[in-house]
Amino acid sequence: MSKIRKQSEYEKTFAYRFFRWLGGEKDIFVGNMEMQPQKEYVEEEATIEERMKDRQQAMAEVYDGSHNMELRFFKILYKIFSVVFCIAIMAVLILTVSYLPEVGDPNRPTSNIVTETYISDGLGDTGAVNIVTGMILSYRAFDTFGETNVLFIATCCVMIMLMVDEDKIKKNKDSNDRGFEPKNDVILQVIAKFLVPIVFLFGIYIILNGHLSPGGGFSGGAMIGAGMILYVAAFGFDKTEKFFNEHVYKVIKVTALLCYGCIVTYYFLTGANGLECLILLGEPGKILSGGITLPINIFVGSEVACTMYAFYALFRRGGL
Amino acid sequence: MPAIEWIRFGLVVFFILFGLSIFFLEIFGVYRFKFVLNRMQIAATGDTLGIGLCLVGLMIANGWNAATAKMALVIVFLWCASPVSSHVIARLEYTTDETLMENCRIVTIEEAEAEGETENGDI
Amino acid sequence: MEIFNVILLAFLVICAVSVSFSKNLLNSVLIFMSYSLIMSIIWMLLESPDLAITEAAVGAGVTSILFFVTLKKIHALQSEQQEEERFDEQN
Repeated sequence: MSKIRKQSEYEKTFAYRFFRWLGGEKDIFVGNMEMQPQKEYVEEEATIEERMKDRQQAMAEVYDGSHNMELRFFKILYKIFSVVFCIAIMAVLILTVSYLPEVGDPNRPTSNIVTETYISDGLGDTGAVNIVTGMILSYRAFDTFGETNVLFIATCCVMIMLMVDEDKIKKNKDSNDRGFEPKNDVILQVIAKFLVPIVFLFGIYIILNGHLSPGGGFSGGAMIGAGMILYVAAFGFDKTEKFFNEHVYKVIKVTALLCYGCIVTYYFLTGANGLECLILLGEPGKILSGGITLPINIFVGSEVACTMYAFYALFRRGGL
Repeated sequence: MPAIEWIRFGLVVFFILFGLSIFFLEIFGVYRFKFVLNRMQIAATGDTLGIGLCLVGLMIANGWNAATAKMALVIVFLWCASPVSSHVIARLEYTTDETLMENCRIVTIEEAEAEGETENGDI
Repeated sequence: MEIFNVILLAFLVICAVSVSFSKNLLNSVLIFMSYSLIMSIIWMLLESPDLAITEAAVGAGVTSILFFVTLKKIHALQSEQQEEERFDEQN
């Protein structure tokens, strides 16, 4: 709706059509394009038989299959050479591995100035006691940003392929999917009530303590996702829809990704080379320290937890 | 105090060897038993009792610190999770297997109360 | 510790080979799960507990659940007899 122009004029503009498409009021393909459901590919038996007969005739007449010594010799040679080729490749690979430097060897070529700088300056630059998390979330934060984007795009692709209309989900809610599964199992529900908060708490601990102890966003997020899957398996989708529906999923996912991008960009522009930065490093060892590591861990964790649960829900019933 | 140290060592060896022997029984039983619920039962025994005894041995060996408390929490977690998973397997077997009656006798709770026994009573 | 490492690596190779040679899809998924568990112990021995936690949670937990759900979706877990029963029920 526009206040400046009249409604009839506004309907001709590009913006009107764009927002109508964005809101999902009209599908541009309906009416303009002929759409048919895909037909199943069926081959008649006669054509199969004909093809097999042709093949046998060709083998018999052209190549003279039963008497052709060359062909038989070539077949045997082919088998022998394929085995020899596989064994040769295995031998080359094993020989190469035996020449690699040992794990923890101080003289190997990978322990150069990069590793030494990470170990010596890591605590001062990033403020994280756990050097691994400090490295992947502040020196290589854009690298991890790419990984998080991969998760986002993967869920988008699964949604494109497996998403079903909401009416259909409601219609065949109880039909085929949970056919033989125990529904409303009391023992499972009691234990899930007891265990799910513990699993969530442990996941949150791993995320928030990622810059001090082993762990971080990916592992903690996977744990929270596994806890949600346990909750769904015990109580069904009706209960999870109350606190985690498609709207919540969209908000969490997009917000986490956007905030991550903004923080990393800001940090690389201001704080990376010793310039002044709003995000303070803090005292190493405290829970509120580590500069950008702590907020990034939280965003990555929520992203991964949403991805895990969304995969399960989409594979299970085609909707969140 | 060497005497107490020796007693502690003996306890550790006893618990860990007992747990490992139960693990051995579990693996033997999983391959030996033909019927599903028998296999489920022996696997659940190994998962709870075997791991529990091994962890108790490790806790005694470790002494009083934070790692011991974590191991105690692991025991609590396993003792909650493992029996429930075997219960779900047994219930699935009960709902799907049509020839279950040939292999075992199913006792409902009312019948068991009447007879005063609870053996073979899945569900 | 050297012997323990060698045993774990041998298990890893056995699991990797038997995943591809197993006829039953369900068995393949279970063997893949044990592969992930052994891999997480090896990460622990290589002194990278971060990766061990992630491998145990993602590889052994969530990936196999997704495999199970997929196999159920394409009806690969049912035997032929049950398939016929389903067909009869629907008609």
